[in-house]
Amino acid sequence: MELITSANRDLSAFPLDPRTKILLLLCANVVIIGGGFSGTAGIIRALFASFPLFLLLLERKWRAAAFYTLFIGTAMACEILLLQRTAGIWNLLIVIFSGIFSRFVPGLVMGFYVVSTTKISEFIAAMERLRFPPALIIPFAVMMRFFPTVKEESAAIGDAMKMRGIRMGGGNAIAMLEYRVVPLLISTVKIGEELSAAALTRGLGGPGKRTNICEIGFRLRDWTLCAIAVSALLIWMMGGTA
Amino acid sequence: MDNRLSAKDFINIGIFTALYFLLFFVTGMIGYVPVFMLLIPALCPFVAAVAFMLYLTRVNKFGMVTIMGTLLGLLMMLTGHPWTIIPFAIGFPLLADLVLKAGNYRNWTSIRLGYILFSQWLMGLVFPLFFMRDSYFASLRDGYGDTYADTLLSITPPWVFYLMFILVAVGALAGAYFGKALLKKHFQRAGMA
Amino acid sequence: MIELKDISFRYGKGERDTGLSHLNLTIPGGQVVLLCGESGCGKTTLTRLINGLIPHYYEGKLTGQVLVHGLDTAKVPLYQTAATVGSVFQNPRSQFFNVDTTSELAFGCENLGLEEEEIRRRLRKTIGDFRLEPLINRSIFALSGGEKQKIACASVSALDPQVFVLDEPSSNLDAVATAELAEMIRLWKSQRKTIIISEHRLHYLRDLVDRVVYLQDGKIAAEFTMEEFIRLPAARTEAMGLRPLSLEQLAKPSGNFLAPGANGSIAFSNLCFTYAKCRETLRIHSLSLSRGSITAVIGHNGAGKSTFARCTCGLEKKCRGELRLGARTVKAGSCLKHCYMVMQDVNHQLFAESVLDEVLLSMEREDAAEAEGILDSLHLLELKDLHPMSLSGGQKQRVAIASAIASGREIILFDEPTSGLDLRHMREVAQSLKVLSKQGKTILVITHDPELILSCCTGVLHLDRGQVAAEYPLDGAGVSRMLSFFWGFDSRQERQVV
Repeated sequence: MELITSANRDLSAFPLDPRTKILLLLCANVVIIGGGFSGTAGIIRALFASFPLFLLLLERKWRAAAFYTLFIGTAMACEILLLQRTAGIWNLLIVIFSGIFSRFVPGLVMGFYVVSTTKISEFIAAMERLRFPPALIIPFAVMMRFFPTVKEESAAIGDAMKMRGIRMGGGNAIAMLEYRVVPLLISTVKIGEELSAAALTRGLGGPGKRTNICEIGFRLRDWTLCAIAVSALLIWMMGGTA
Repeated sequence: MDNRLSAKDFINIGIFTALYFLLFFVTGMIGYVPVFMLLIPALCPFVAAVAFMLYLTRVNKFGMVTIMGTLLGLLMMLTGHPWTIIPFAIGFPLLADLVLKAGNYRNWTSIRLGYILFSQWLMGLVFPLFFMRDSYFASLRDGYGDTYADTLLSITPPWVFYLMFILVAVGALAGAYFGKALLKKHFQRAGMA
Repeated sequence: MIELKDISFRYGKGERDTGLSHLNLTIPGGQVVLLCGESGCGKTTLTRLINGLIPHYYEGKLTGQVLVHGLDTAKVPLYQTAATVGSVFQNPRSQFFNVDTTSELAFGCENLGLEEEEIRRRLRKTIGDFRLEPLINRSIFALSGGEKQKIACASVSALDPQVFVLDEPSSNLDAVATAELAEMIRLWKSQRKTIIISEHRLHYLRDLVDRVVYLQDGKIAAEFTMEEFIRLPAARTEAMGLRPLSLEQLAKPSGNFLAPGANGSIAFSNLCFTYAKCRETLRIHSLSLSRGSITAVIGHNGAGKSTFARCTCGLEKKCRGELRLGARTVKAGSCLKHCYMVMQDVNHQLFAESVLDEVLLSMEREDAAEAEGILDSLHLLELKDLHPMSLSGGQKQRVAIASAIASGREIILFDEPTSGLDLRHMREVAQSLKVLSKQGKTILVITHDPELILSCCTGVLHLDRGQVAAEYPLDGAGVSRMLSFFWGFDSRQERQVV
């Protein structure tokens, strides 16, 4: 019985409220896209870029953490060591790599952290607490539920194509697309129709407020992280306008 | 018929957003082959159009496309893409919804135009590469010096952004025709559209 | 009490199900009613009227009135009916809305806006009643079909409705899962719930049902008490197109037995396969099948039946082992050229825009005349210009069989070809299998349908934990051996009654 009351909490090594994760994601997003390479702004940007690293380590996602460190390390090394010593195409490639990718990658890694450590029921609970309308929550829930379904269906269709000897390459690309996509749409839509019927007989779509038994809530660590993120964002914004 | 979205419609919105997104995403992966990189803005809306066209035969009420766009935006945000995706992913789909509504979600001209408008949501992903960068480059100059900033500026001139708009539109338009052809060839004959 | 008064219904366009005409039925509270009849008799339609999906979800023309505990299901919205009528459907894959089991169990209660504490109380009770502890907090995508169906039943049960409507709930279940389903129905019955079950497979319901309603062409053609129904002679139920009520009725000698080695043989040796991060899941040292034989592959859930099928078809590239086809030897990884599988969900393997194109697509060299010949042998010729997806389930399956023939492969596998089929359609499948066998194809059928096995198979391959537990021909002794495998579950079920 412990399991129900503690639902969704046990799997994470460093559980955070999904709203905290979303707030961190947003702040990091704004700052990292916005830039800041010198002075306080530079420190804050580095702070936000390091958030995903710490969170990944706390969640014991060693591989992802290592890849991220390696990537950022390489980008920084390129900027510092190679930029001045190269010219022409190499210089251009290094600029693209370190200038463009490093502007987007920390955000993406943060996104990876959020998505890989949050259960779908937690996202939905967070959306409900944040007063999202049912018009967004219901389709969001269905969308998340259908990702694995589409994957399953697609794998089965892939097997069938192999068996029929319909293969990529050789043939024309449009026909391949057709063989792949049409059965996928047909079977997914069929599953969707049955799902609609089942969900409606379980009372989905009533006018009353839905309950949500998924327990989410702020703890000390949530408050602390939110406070750090928001104040850092404020300092960064003031620095930007000054 | 009731013009408000029902629970059944919400489920359909979720399903087709999932299908659209996966087609879009898988096509986007081809972009890692450098030759195709420039074609991505056209290719993604082209491939994903089938899902959109089928979607229009299943739901036809105002708000369906806006919700789809908003969900795509949220998904992109959650996976760490730039926040600029949000206004794009709400604004363009909303315009598309208005255009589609004008044609009652059936008129072929408004379907084509609607899909072209809708597809522009993806521009929100690349927007920060080209704009909102005055402060970015100012601080970049402070930190790394002029040459670095100038090289970076020179490979992302704003006209590329406008070119991408056109590429998206072309891909979307071609996709609309392709999607319609598939509807006719398969889904209508199978009794599904 | 449920009252259907002079109900007539016609589906709108796009639905292939039959409607109902002038149907009257009264079901007192606490009764367990079985709706039976051939596919298309209207039994699914009847369940949809009771749970309100007609007219709220499936559109059409409805006259008459349905009252469920005083509730007019056509007038009140679905979410209101949901508190009174709980529904379980055929396909376990498409019934769940959430991705984890706990959310799914709470889903209905959450929709009705019950208090959080009340929902937790109900969950605890449901989990206790159905012994669901091992399934809690798991991804639904990692569950077997039987486990999914169990969660579906439990999540309906958590809503505590007065009426349960089950539409062919055992269609996709194996013998163990079907026995568990019977257990759940027994629990509801003990709580004096009204239960309506539309079903083809009847044997698991034998001592659960109070009343049997037989439908034909959208009308009630006959009604029986269970005692009367059990006493009906086998010839009568067969004429009604019904599956047998007990496996004992099946134990008649079969005439399919094929002498081994009559037409040469196909031999498997050292077929091994391991899923990533798993113990070895398949190890078949040697196995030999006669050409033209039809072998039933039986075994429990997780015994390795589908892995065996995938390896035989060459869909698992990492599978090691060999296949000897007469003089030739083929590595397991490249069996694709020699084997063909007709999948359980045939929707996955139909690609073309017409039935004829579908067959041509499978041919090495397109030959329209030959393709039409194949279609003719499976009674599909008049459908050749239609889109495969516009056909009925049975026709689609025959199209898949036609393209299997067209591919010219020697071994053809079937994955659960008769799940959810009535007697007539099951016989059609058996007929198609015999057609293939006559053409010299070697056939393997993964199945949990003893009737299908008796109708056409020549031998049995019993798998257990990825190994061959037994292999025997379906002669007199083989038949009783095979039946005792399926009987095991049935008799266990009876013990629990006592």
